[in-house]
Amino acid sequence: MPIFNIVIAGVGGQGVLMASKVLAESALAGGLDVKQNEVHGMAQRGGSVISFVRMGEKVASPVVMPGTADLLISFEPLEALRYLHYLKPGGRLVYNQVSINPSTVAAGLAVYPDDVEEQIAAACDNALGVDALAIAREAGNGKAVNMVMVGTVLKDLPVTEEVITEVVKQVSKEKGVEVNLRALAGGAAA
Amino acid sequence: MKQQIELLMGNEAIGRGLIEAGCQIAAAYPGTPSTEILQAVIDHREQAEEPLHIEWSVNEKIAFEVALAASYTGKRSVAVMKQVGLNVAADPFMRTAYLGVKGGMLTIVADDPGPHSSQNEQDTRLFCLQARVPVLDPASPAEAKELVPLAFELSEKYEMNLVLRPTTRICHSRQNVERQKPLKLERGANFEKDPTRWAATPAFLPPLHRRLNAGLEEIAREPGLQPRLTKGDGSRPRVALVASGIACAHLVDLLDELGLSGRVDLFQVLMPYPLNPEFSARLRQDYSRVLVLEETYPVIELQLAHPGTVGKQDGAVPREGELAPDIIHRVLAAFLDLPAPPELPVQKRGQRPSLCPGCPHRAAFYSIRQCFPKGIFPSDIGCYTLGLNLGAVDTVHCMGACISQGVGFYQAYAQDGEFPTIVVTIGDSTFFHAGIPALINAVIQQARIIVVILDNATTAMTGGQPVPHLGLAADGRKTRAVAIEPLVRASGVDFLEICDPYDKPRFEKLLRQADNYIRGEQGGVAVLISRHGCIMDPAVRKAQPSWQVSVIESCVGCRRCVDAFECPALSMDSEQNIARINPDRCIGCGTCIPVCPVDAIVREETS
Repeated sequence: MPIFNIVIAGVGGQGVLMASKVLAESALAGGLDVKQNEVHGMAQRGGSVISFVRMGEKVASPVVMPGTADLLISFEPLEALRYLHYLKPGGRLVYNQVSINPSTVAAGLAVYPDDVEEQIAAACDNALGVDALAIAREAGNGKAVNMVMVGTVLKDLPVTEEVITEVVKQVSKEKGVEVNLRALAGGAAA
Repeated sequence: MKQQIELLMGNEAIGRGLIEAGCQIAAAYPGTPSTEILQAVIDHREQAEEPLHIEWSVNEKIAFEVALAASYTGKRSVAVMKQVGLNVAADPFMRTAYLGVKGGMLTIVADDPGPHSSQNEQDTRLFCLQARVPVLDPASPAEAKELVPLAFELSEKYEMNLVLRPTTRICHSRQNVERQKPLKLERGANFEKDPTRWAATPAFLPPLHRRLNAGLEEIAREPGLQPRLTKGDGSRPRVALVASGIACAHLVDLLDELGLSGRVDLFQVLMPYPLNPEFSARLRQDYSRVLVLEETYPVIELQLAHPGTVGKQDGAVPREGELAPDIIHRVLAAFLDLPAPPELPVQKRGQRPSLCPGCPHRAAFYSIRQCFPKGIFPSDIGCYTLGLNLGAVDTVHCMGACISQGVGFYQAYAQDGEFPTIVVTIGDSTFFHAGIPALINAVIQQARIIVVILDNATTAMTGGQPVPHLGLAADGRKTRAVAIEPLVRASGVDFLEICDPYDKPRFEKLLRQADNYIRGEQGGVAVLISRHGCIMDPAVRKAQPSWQVSVIESCVGCRRCVDAFECPALSMDSEQNIARINPDRCIGCGTCIPVCPVDAIVREETS
């Protein structure tokens, strides 16, 4: 089995790191070798965040090379566009359609492109956009966007849905288990 | 013994390794990417078999010296820091090479090639070459953890301080790691006095230096630390790949993907310094061409002195930045005469970081900029570096530099006559770390500057480690608190005021008073403590009032709140040309309200 490469992108504070942890724990629980890497420090203060998860029989490097990702999960449309070159030909993109204005846009130095989704569709023929915020709110908490995003790729991973669901249960705080499981299911149904 | 496998971050794996190896004194100063190492020691301390002292020291030099003396007693100790922290600890670090240690001592220095979160990408391995200290370069979190007990054993065998150098990609990568049972060493503290060594005067140093060099010759030949060869099938004779650290991990996967695994001789170097001279001789004899992949400086390459080296010195390998897998792919393709990988599109710049909504630093910076539009603003290392975005930070150099830079600016301008208002901003943790001597110097040099101590009661950038004025030890125990105000007064500062920057009118009044003071006849250093807890602390959020803040129709679209205040919750609605507040990001602090020149930002009490 070749190494399965996942890139997860978003903006600091969106829960990218938690989603990465769930995927990495799932790989481990599914008996695979796994390496996961993430960005810390200054970027976490509202900046772009990117995380890599690599799983397979044997994995040495924690870094995904551009052009080799099987799966790109983006928590924000513009971030999806920014990291689209990580996907390998035919690779799958799932992105949250809810945009966050970059600070340069907020400051009026640039304009948030209003055709981001068209640009994504033109560049990637295996893309799925979901309103993760709406699904998360429906599940009971707008902050469960990360679990919705994990849900959207539930069937694309080399680990069974049961294993992933079990990991979500384990990593959730007691009060959040039900919401997270609903968010996961909501994402999977999207 | 039952082994347990768990997913750990590199830093957690190292911290866990320290506990398992029987380390009894652990001291660190936080800094990305090293911070979580000591945090993991704190989190796993209950599993230690013996007493364990853990401290967030005031700076790296202090952390090193605490660990050093503990090792003199025969116990195992560690000092942890980021790469630029080693510059702060350089003085004791260099002498320790000569004097040595007793109990195992490790210095864990996390490098940041890239750099991702640092002021440079210096290579600790080169520092170790200059200091004559053995350094280990792990290629994975699991390997980093495995090297910890080995390093302690060798530190004791050779009576040397050893350095473990993980890089950002090791520190912040997670993988499956095996847990072991912590050792019980049963060592009582036993300092054997020997002034000829522990207080060595110049007369005693030549023999100590000779002993160091002899030890280095020996440790270079340590069987457990020799370059690990993965033999090729001979299809590419007289060609070798030499790699260390994370670059080696990238290379292993890349060779696999290219179908070249086991086709070409590959050496993983575990200990880049001191490199075994026999290894270098063997390479010179058996190989005509050698590709060396290492981060960040050519440390192995320099020692190899192989005429057929392809690497950083001939420019085949980039001399700066991370050796990411795609870069290694390109270099490898050129070296092995493979088809070149396709050119990658230039990565678009990501979203820039900014101070959090409600951050008290933003309010302080805005006021400073408003009061002194022509001021000079030296600042320092921490979250508040992001005051850059508000035009209230002009220089950022290294821990504590801002106060001395403020003095330098002042002296250079003042000798010409007029001087601009110089407002220095320094965080509370940075003030304790390296600001106090600089403040004393500013006072005795009679510099007329304003020093604003941004006191948010935490080390915020690295995730909230305690600061000395909280009176909290690393493990949460209560300890004696050391307040900022008496330190400032004792440094000879006569103008000292304290103000919450959320109170904009008072804060700005005090800034103007400070400016009058420094320009008065008896003027000198004025200190203003800007005091408001970090907004990332839930207790701070809970304790302060929260409003429903919104923009009303009288907004004239002047953009001042968006451009000059730069809160992530504020943005321009370009269609209607008015400002908007994003309720998902706004925390309701209301600090933006007085920023609006037409009073179009309003608040309502929320329940």
